[in-house]
Amino acid sequence: MPQPPEPDEPPPFLGTWRRVYTAILIYLVVLIAGFYLFTRAYR
Amino acid sequence: MRNLDWIVLVTSLVSIVAYGLYRSRGSNTVDRYLLAGRTMPWYAMALSIMATQASAITFISTTGQSYVDGMRFVQFYFGLPIAMVIISATAVPLFHRAKVYTAYEYLEKRFDGKTRTLASIIFLCQRGLSAGLTIYAPALVLSVILGWPERNTTFLMGVTVVTYTVLGGIKAVTWSDVQQMCIIFLGLLVSLITVFVLLPKTVSFGDAVFLAGAAGRLNAVTTNFSWNDRFNIWSGLLGGTFLFLSYFGCDQSQVQRYLTGKSIAQSRLGLLFNAVAKIPMQFFILFIGAMVFVFYLFVQPPLLFQHTELARIAGRSDYSAIAESYQRGFDERRRATLAMVDAHHKGDTAAVESEIAQYRASQKQIDRARTQAAHMVTSSGGEKDFSDTNYIFLSFVTKYLPAGIVGLVIGVIFAATMSASSGEINSLATVTVVDIYRRIRPGASDHHYVAASRLATLFWGAYAVIFAGWGKHLGSLIVAVNVVGSLFYGSLLGCFVLAFGFRRVGGTATFVGMLAGEVAIFWAFLFTGISWLWYNVIGCVVVVGTALAITYLAPANGASAESARERTPEPG
Repeated sequence: MPQPPEPDEPPPFLGTWRRVYTAILIYLVVLIAGFYLFTRAYR
Repeated sequence: MRNLDWIVLVTSLVSIVAYGLYRSRGSNTVDRYLLAGRTMPWYAMALSIMATQASAITFISTTGQSYVDGMRFVQFYFGLPIAMVIISATAVPLFHRAKVYTAYEYLEKRFDGKTRTLASIIFLCQRGLSAGLTIYAPALVLSVILGWPERNTTFLMGVTVVTYTVLGGIKAVTWSDVQQMCIIFLGLLVSLITVFVLLPKTVSFGDAVFLAGAAGRLNAVTTNFSWNDRFNIWSGLLGGTFLFLSYFGCDQSQVQRYLTGKSIAQSRLGLLFNAVAKIPMQFFILFIGAMVFVFYLFVQPPLLFQHTELARIAGRSDYSAIAESYQRGFDERRRATLAMVDAHHKGDTAAVESEIAQYRASQKQIDRARTQAAHMVTSSGGEKDFSDTNYIFLSFVTKYLPAGIVGLVIGVIFAATMSASSGEINSLATVTVVDIYRRIRPGASDHHYVAASRLATLFWGAYAVIFAGWGKHLGSLIVAVNVVGSLFYGSLLGCFVLAFGFRRVGGTATFVGMLAGEVAIFWAFLFTGISWLWYNVIGCVVVVGTALAITYLAPANGASAESARERTPEPG
């Protein structure tokens, strides 16, 4: 008998995977901005 | 190495192996041996993914890179979070639901056998070449720094890795990786704290950061664009995204980590942890290198950090002039540095500017002397394109760090080598058995395939150790081996992009596309000066473009069986 497809569980935080992905991309932008300011501050 | 260092080193190595083997009990079926029965929690996968990616040379080289060139190397990782998000959203659920052992197995389900075979062979060639280097490169550095015979270091690391990988399979690899990452984090933290403790009493943390910035070592973001420059924000975001998509989405050494997950959610969390943690970790490692540079502003570093080569050229008649110039440069740089700190404390901006100019002039003199010494090494029969970057951090560690911590840092190097190497050997064995052997000899018992997997692991482990043992005969080929990954990843990535995103494209179009992608990459490699970070982009675009062109211009050859069925009415 074919097994049912593996269900797509929700993430443990933020409700949906789309929100988790968005949060990570925002985090990347903030990180790069922080590094840019860090570079400028100690240039 | 003092007694305490030996105790720390041996304790960490024994505990890594023992813990890995303890956690791998019951790995007696193919599913358990190769995929841990798909039971791994997200945090074990997360650390295993991180550990497999971070080889010893990453730690040795990254700190040295920051010492000579500043922190801009961190931009190389800017594409990683983007790649992790794309893979989590696309590849992870598809691989999980297809219940595959390898990424290439999926290609047969989606395309055909020949595409799977081509992808498997590309992986075996590329990863097989780098498996030896993963062991050889740190063995070489350790042998030079500690005076250990290279073969002994290679043999010790190789035998340890092969033992637990053969016996315990992927569970041993993953749980060892977890412990190895803990040792790596601890070692790095202790190293940074020790660098600060070793700075002169008058130099605070703020002063150290100020000096690193003034010396151009805190250049974490550079916005200038060049096709030949590997480390700027643009190559990091675009080239880096393609590189990490290839590495985490198509390279079995990484795919196998997240195929062991309990569920799609656990695998995604393992990858996304890396999306969050990897860049800060690299920033931290680079920051250590920058602080080692600051330390050497006050304490004179050797002219070259590779002391055996330095000793070899020291007897030459033209050496003393270079050494004197270097000495004068260092004395002037130290004076300017102390004056700069003093002016910084007083808030005297004009004096700071003036001393920075003095500092830069003396730094140029130092760089010139180092370049001349490196040329002397090359011209007197030493390594072509000699560079001592990989020796900077370990030279500092062994010379200035206290007893116990040296053992811990050497343990970090061993741990990083073993974690990267075990992942490679394990994945090479998996592809050999699942994608090659099982298709030649189908229908054998589970027990037979477990035995075949152990034998394949032993074979690839022995191969890596023997290849590493011959490392010194490779000479400058080692640099070429580093580029090998980029020569193949672009085509693999293009193949998976077609598999996930273009349902109409069939096996023949993909197969031809992959061959065209390889031709394009080798053309870029042999006939242009384009940095290797861009090869993944070129390869992927050519594979996808060629396959799409074949599919739409000659649909009889290129379209998938599924779409062909859609176009052709069923008889009757």
